Amino acid sequence: MSLRFSLKKSFPGFDSNVELSAENEMTVLFGPSGAGKSLILKMISGIVRPDSGVICVDGQTVFDSSGGVDIPMRNRKIGFLFQDYALFPHMTVRENIAYGVTSNHKGEKNGRVKELMEIMRLSGLEGSYPHEISGGQKQRTALARTLASEPRLLLLDEPFSALDFQVREKLRADLANIHELFPVTAILVTHDLEEAFMLGQRIAVINGGRFEQVGSREDVFYRPATRNVARFAGTRNIFDGRVAGIRGEEVEIDCPELGVIKTHVPERLGLAGGRPVTFCIRPEEILVIRPDKGLGRVSDNIVEGDILSTTGRGSTHVLHLRAGQAGALLRIELPNFVMRKLGLEAGKRIKVSLKKENIWVIP
Amino acid sequence: MDLFPLYLTIKVSFTAAAFTIAAGLVLARLMAKRDFFAKNIIDTLIMQPLVIPPTVLGYYLLTALGASSPLGRFLERLGIRIVFTWKGAVVASIVSSFPLFAKPALAAFEGVSADLENAARLLGKTEFEVFRTVTLPLAWRGLAAGAVMAFARATGEFGATLMVAGNIPGLTQTMPLAIYDAVQTGNAFAANVMVGVITVFSFAVLYAAGRFSRVRF
Repeated sequence: MSLRFSLKKSFPGFDSNVELSAENEMTVLFGPSGAGKSLILKMISGIVRPDSGVICVDGQTVFDSSGGVDIPMRNRKIGFLFQDYALFPHMTVRENIAYGVTSNHKGEKNGRVKELMEIMRLSGLEGSYPHEISGGQKQRTALARTLASEPRLLLLDEPFSALDFQVREKLRADLANIHELFPVTAILVTHDLEEAFMLGQRIAVINGGRFEQVGSREDVFYRPATRNVARFAGTRNIFDGRVAGIRGEEVEIDCPELGVIKTHVPERLGLAGGRPVTFCIRPEEILVIRPDKGLGRVSDNIVEGDILSTTGRGSTHVLHLRAGQAGALLRIELPNFVMRKLGLEAGKRIKVSLKKENIWVIP
Repeated sequence: MDLFPLYLTIKVSFTAAAFTIAAGLVLARLMAKRDFFAKNIIDTLIMQPLVIPPTVLGYYLLTALGASSPLGRFLERLGIRIVFTWKGAVVASIVSSFPLFAKPALAAFEGVSADLENAARLLGKTEFEVFRTVTLPLAWRGLAAGAVMAFARATGEFGATLMVAGNIPGLTQTMPLAIYDAVQTGNAFAANVMVGVITVFSFAVLYAAGRFSRVRF
């Protein structure tokens, strides 16, 4: 199963121009609100007509503006999980799921509904109405209804945004399992970083109606293609500098805020001396040097600074560090036990290392 | 007592309500799902019968359907006579009751979430199936309430009916017209009975409409 699309759509003050192909995997469209994520799903499914472009599902062209192809929604065989699930309020859980079954054979239909209800852990709720069940149950009912129609492609529009924080994590794991059971091509839209990382085998980062990067989650998280991608992916430490020296793959960057920073840059980037560059390092990749141990073998990019504040975030703490010559602000994320062990608190002066291999130069 | 006015009122109201509902459904459905240039104008036109005097409405219809108008002559050639027949009473009732059905019907259709209809389409349903299994069941309370109100309005039609159908006993005299006649001729008994029937009926209708429009979901 596969999906390939290339779409253009303009509105006053906003236009979208995107291209993607996906195989049997879960691709996450990740980006801020208003970036045009849901619009893409609506165009693929046929709810919104693109101005121009092509959509191919499983090799079948379902939309082609130049060829005059526009297959109606009902014949596209695309499953759509709406943000608020769009369960039919006048039908029971069972009736909702049965609505999606394409077979007209009664026994076959009942068997399929029963099977889906078991897989989705909905047994016992056959006669309940949507307003009587929990958010998670609603989501699973909607998913069962969609899967009952045996879609070639599954589109999931912010499937967890209507749910409580506590149940989200479990339901994300559920969704990942269900996707393993029904390995269709799936596109999931989210603005939640954690969700994107947890569910996306591939991530497409979208901003202002355009993809800024499409790649594996490791690429997006550790090797962002643009400054925006770095920002959206939670790489808070982004700095500008100028190439000061190149020795093979080893590059020295002169950064007004942090001083001279050394890093590795693949030769294919073809950096030249004097060229302005942007580089970044993730908050959890910054190494805090133990005051009692000295530098030891660590020698990369040592930066000294004062802790401005510490903020607890559950299992980790975030430190803000005023560092370097120009007082650059570094954000560092550490496990709580490290915080305790090193006795880190606001006002203390510490040394950190921005290790060469953890620095990424945005091409 | 003459039962003809009661019989005629029932016949006229049911016929008018059937036309009103059929045309109102089509129009409301079109207006709810589409945005078009003339939408506001049509909306205003639909509402007109609620605010212009029934006699004026009757005058319009008399002029439009009478023997001197092209439409009237055309219908005459087909052997259909509207003015001063019971059919005239039906036309008057349709026009004056139309907004009472079309408006709530439009609101009821607009109240059905587009997501629900799209969900049904994406599950492989044709437009007719979507309408039958999703739109109609979700809108039916509003539709039923509107239908009841339109029917009630049709039974009480007086002014426009008088203009178009006249007040011919045994031919076009509906209950509201008969009540007027009874009072004019001092037949207090007949007037009281008919007023009683209409009062009870109106109360029952409003009560039923109230129950229909209560939302369950």
